[in-house]
Amino acid sequence: MAPFRFQNTVDRLDKPSSYTVGKHKKRKRNANEEEPNRQPSPELEDKLANATTLYVGNLSFYTTEEQIHSLFSTCGEIKRLVMGLDRFSKTPCGFCFVEYYTHEDALDCLKYVGGTKLDERIIRADLDEGFSEGRQYGRGRSGGQVRDEYREEYDPGRGGFGRMVQEERMYDDYQ
Amino acid sequence: MGDTDRYRGGGHRGYNNNKRKRFREDDDYDQGFRNQRQRQEPPPGTRIRRGLIEIAEDHGRLPHEVAANLAKLTADNYEDEYVKEVFSTVALKLVGEQPYKIPFVAAVVLYANAEKAEVAQNVIERAQKQTQEALEGGHWRQFKLLLRFLACLSPLFEQDGVMPILDELFNRAADLQTASSEDAVGIELVKIILLTIPYLLASSNDDSLPQKVAELLEKTEIIASTTHALEALVDPYPVSGDQEEKAMTCASVISLLQSQLTEEANNGWQLACIPRPYDPTFKPAAAKKDEESELNGDSNGEVQEPSKHAFPSINVPSPVNPGTRTLLPEVYFSLFADQEIESVPPTSNIAASLMRDATVDTINLLDFNRNVVAKYLTEIDCFWTKDTFVKRSTAFDKLKDLPAGRPTWKSEDVTVDAIFSQIFQLPTPEHRLVYYHSLITEACKISPGAVAPTLGRAIRFLFRNIDQMDMELSYRFMDWFAHHLSNFEFRWKWTEWQNDVQLPDLDPKKAFINGALDKEIRLSFAKRIRETLPQVYHPLIPVSKEKDMPDFKFSNDNTPYAKEGREVLALLKKKAPEEEVQKVLDSVHEQAAALGVADPLVPSTDIYMTSILSIGSKSLSHVLSTIDRCKDRLLNIGQQSEQARRQIIASVVDFWADHPGTAVNIVDKLLNYSIITPMAVIQWALQDRINRGRALASSQIYEMVSITMFKVTNRVRQVLRERNNMKLSYEQRKQIDDALPRERQGMRDLFNAIEDAVSAVANGAQDEMIERFDGEEPEQKLITAWGSRWARVWRRKAAVEEAIVGEAVVGPLEEDPPVVEAAEPEQEAMEDFDQV
Repeated sequence: MAPFRFQNTVDRLDKPSSYTVGKHKKRKRNANEEEPNRQPSPELEDKLANATTLYVGNLSFYTTEEQIHSLFSTCGEIKRLVMGLDRFSKTPCGFCFVEYYTHEDALDCLKYVGGTKLDERIIRADLDEGFSEGRQYGRGRSGGQVRDEYREEYDPGRGGFGRMVQEERMYDDYQ
Repeated sequence: MGDTDRYRGGGHRGYNNNKRKRFREDDDYDQGFRNQRQRQEPPPGTRIRRGLIEIAEDHGRLPHEVAANLAKLTADNYEDEYVKEVFSTVALKLVGEQPYKIPFVAAVVLYANAEKAEVAQNVIERAQKQTQEALEGGHWRQFKLLLRFLACLSPLFEQDGVMPILDELFNRAADLQTASSEDAVGIELVKIILLTIPYLLASSNDDSLPQKVAELLEKTEIIASTTHALEALVDPYPVSGDQEEKAMTCASVISLLQSQLTEEANNGWQLACIPRPYDPTFKPAAAKKDEESELNGDSNGEVQEPSKHAFPSINVPSPVNPGTRTLLPEVYFSLFADQEIESVPPTSNIAASLMRDATVDTINLLDFNRNVVAKYLTEIDCFWTKDTFVKRSTAFDKLKDLPAGRPTWKSEDVTVDAIFSQIFQLPTPEHRLVYYHSLITEACKISPGAVAPTLGRAIRFLFRNIDQMDMELSYRFMDWFAHHLSNFEFRWKWTEWQNDVQLPDLDPKKAFINGALDKEIRLSFAKRIRETLPQVYHPLIPVSKEKDMPDFKFSNDNTPYAKEGREVLALLKKKAPEEEVQKVLDSVHEQAAALGVADPLVPSTDIYMTSILSIGSKSLSHVLSTIDRCKDRLLNIGQQSEQARRQIIASVVDFWADHPGTAVNIVDKLLNYSIITPMAVIQWALQDRINRGRALASSQIYEMVSITMFKVTNRVRQVLRERNNMKLSYEQRKQIDDALPRERQGMRDLFNAIEDAVSAVANGAQDEMIERFDGEEPEQKLITAWGSRWARVWRRKAAVEEAIVGEAVVGPLEEDPPVVEAAEPEQEAMEDFDQV
C-alpha cells in the first residue's frame, strides 16, 4: 500500500494555480503527440521549485509600475518588473511579471498579496517559470490579452467591452 | 477496500463538488475515478480524515457527539491500515497546526480508547515521538502544543501524566535564569508550563493535582514576576512624559499568566472557557455493530471500563536546546482589554492568555492560507465553551445593555486584538507584515458588519495615542491603515480627524495623516484619494501631485545654469557622445568656480542627475534604463566628491518632491548600483536635510533611512550565514570570516551616525536649534520628542543586530568536520534567528 501523504490540514495558497497546471498538462500531451520521441519536459513542480517570478493578472490598464511596486515590495525587494503591453500599441494591457530575488519572497507574495486589491481591483498572482523576451506582449488578436477580446461585460479599467464585442457593436450600428 | 481519495492531500470540503466550485488541488488527479464514484458514500478513511479536520467547526452539532461518532467510526474500521494511518497522522497534524482543535481531537482519542485501546495507544506513541523530537530540536511552539495535547489526554494515563515534565521544565528554566538575566529561553519554558496547567486541570479528575500545581506555581512565581532586563526594549508604548498616563500598560506575558493562574486557583479552577467535549458517560447513539466488529478481540458486546495507558517516556535534555529563534521577552498587547466595557477578557482572567495564545498560534501556523485562518477566526466561538462570547456581530454599543451575568466578550474584538498584537510585535513578527494586513482584509470580507466597527475602534485607539507609540510601530500602523483602506474603496470617516488637519506638520497626529495619505496615493493616485476626503483635507493633496511627470526645473530661465541644464537634457535624450556632455558640464564647473561655489561638481551633478530623472520620468523602468546607461559617470561622481554624491540623492528627492515614494524607490536602486552609499543616504537625510530636526517628522525620511539600514543589516546577516555555511570549504569560510568584521563595523558606523544625529535633536543640541527656538517652545518640544522617538527605535534595532551578528554571539569559525556533511540545521538556525 502506498503511504498516506499528508502535507497540511488546509490547502496551501502558494501552489501553482489550476490554470498553470492545466496548461502544463496540455502542453505535455501535445508534445507527446507531435514528437513522441522527445524527452519528456520536466515536471511542473521541478520547474517551479525555485521560481522567483510571478505572473500578475487582472490589472487595470491604467495601473502604473509605481503602484505595483508599492504593493509587491511588501513581500521582498523586487528584482525586475515587466509590464504586459499591447502588442501593437505598446501600452499596458493589464498584466505584468514581478521578479523577486528569492523563491520565498515569490511564495510569500502568492500567500499574502494574490487575491487582494490593487488600484481597487482584485488581482491574480501565479507562480511563473520565468520571464522571457516576447512574453510581455498580449496574445489576443487585436494586441491585448485574449480575455479582453471576447469579454461581454463592461470593464472600464480594461478598455470597456471586449474588442471583438466592440467591433460587432460598431458593425451593428452601420446595419 | 479501495480509497480513491487517499492521494489528494487534505482540506477538502464537500465530496461532490461540481466543476465550477472545485478546489485548486482537485485538478491534478483522479478525475476519472470521481465520475465513476459519484454519489457514493466516501470510504471510512476519507470520512475520518475530513471529520477530524472539520471537528468543532459546525455550530449546529454537539461537539461531544461529533467526537464520539468519529471515534466509533475509527474504532470500527481500525483493521484497515489506511484508517489506522490516517487517524494518527491527521490527529497529530491538527495538534501542530490548529491549536483551537486540540481539546476536540483529544476527546476523539479518549472516546476511541473506550472503544478500542489500540487507537489511543498508537496516538500516544506517535505523540511521544514528536514531542521528544520537538524538545530536542528546541521547537518550542510544537512542543507546547503537543504537551497541551498530552495534557488533554490525561484521563488515559495511569500515573501523573505531564506533571513530572512540567517540573523538569521548571528546573531547566531556573538554571537558565540563574545563568543570565537576559535569558529568554527559560522564560519561554515557564510560559509553556503556565499555558499547559489550565488544560491539564480542565481534563484531569485527579484530586491531588491542584495541590501539585500550587506547589509548581509557587516556584514559577519568582521567574514570572521579575521584570526582564530587555523588556523595556519591546514596550510598544514607552513612557514619554512624566505626568502622562500610559496608553497601554503592556505587562509581560508570563507575569500575566502567573497572576491569572493564581486568581483562577482562588476560584477553584473553573477554567470556564476551556471546552470539555469528552464526557465519559456519553455513548454515541449510532453504536450499531457491523460484521467487522467480530474481528475486534475486545468487543464482545459489553461496555468495558476504558483502558489506561502508561504515560510515554519523554526526556527533557539538560541543557535544553535553545532553539532557532532569539527570544526577546513577550509583552501582552491589547487594544481592547481592561476598558470600561469588557469586550475582551480582562488581563486578570486566564481566558485572555489562553485565547490569545491559541489564536496567535493559529494565525502564525497557517500563514499559507489566510482565507482559512480568517474563517476560523470568525468561528472562534465554536472552539471555546458555549456562551463564552456574545452572539457574533453583536454591536459594541449593545454590550452595556446586556443583563448582568451574560457574557460580554466580542469574538471579533478578541481576534482583531490578536492580529494587531502581531502587527505590533517587537522587534519583528513571525511573518511579513503584509500577511497580517491581508488576514484582516479577509476577515473583513467574511463579515464586514462585524469586523469593520471593531477595526474602527482599534484605529481610533491607535490614532488617539499615536504620540506615545513606539515610532516604528506607528509607521506599521500607517502602512496597515493605508493598505487596508486601499482594499475597501478608501473609505474612512475622515471627518473625525478634521480638526487635526490644522495642527502643525510636526504634530504626530498630523504627521500620521500626511504619511497615510501619501501611502494611499502610492497605491492609487492623487485625484482618486482627494475624492475620498472632506474639503478641509484637500490642501494636503495639491494639484501638483496630479502631475505624472514633474517639470524640468531648468526649463525655467530663473533657475541657475538653465541653459546648460537644457543642453545636457537634449544631449542625453539623443544619446550624444560623452565628450559633448562633458563639454557642457565643464562650462558649468567654470561658472561655478567663478561664482565661488566650493564644489563645482555639485551644481553639474544636479544638472546631470535631474536630466536623467526627467528622461526617466515616465516610469520606474524608464529611469532605471537611463541610470543604467549613465552609471559610469554617476559612479565616478561619487568617487570624486562626497558632496556631489549626496547631491545625487538631493536631486532625486527634489525632482520627485510631489511623489516621495518614487524618490525612495530610486534611491533604493541607486544604492544597488553603488552609485550612492548607505552613509551618504544617512548623512544626507540626517544632516543635510535635517532642517533643525524637522525632517524627523517626515515619513519619507524614515522610510529612506529604514530601507538603507535594512539593506546593510541584511547583508551583514547574509555574510554571517555564508560564514557558517558548512557546505563551503574552510578556506572559503575563512575568507568570509575575514570580511565579517569590516562589514559589521560598517553597519555600526551607520548606527552611530544615526544615533549622533537624532540624539542631538532629542537633546535640543542640534546646531542652530537653540537660538532659533527662543520663544517657540511648542515647536521645540515637538522636535525633541521626534528625536527621542527616533533614538529609541534605532537603539533597539542596533541592539537586535548586535544580538545576531555581534562578536559575542558569533563564536569562533568552525573547523571542517572530518567527514564532510551538510550542516543544514545550522543554516536554518540563521534564517529565523531574529524572529520571536
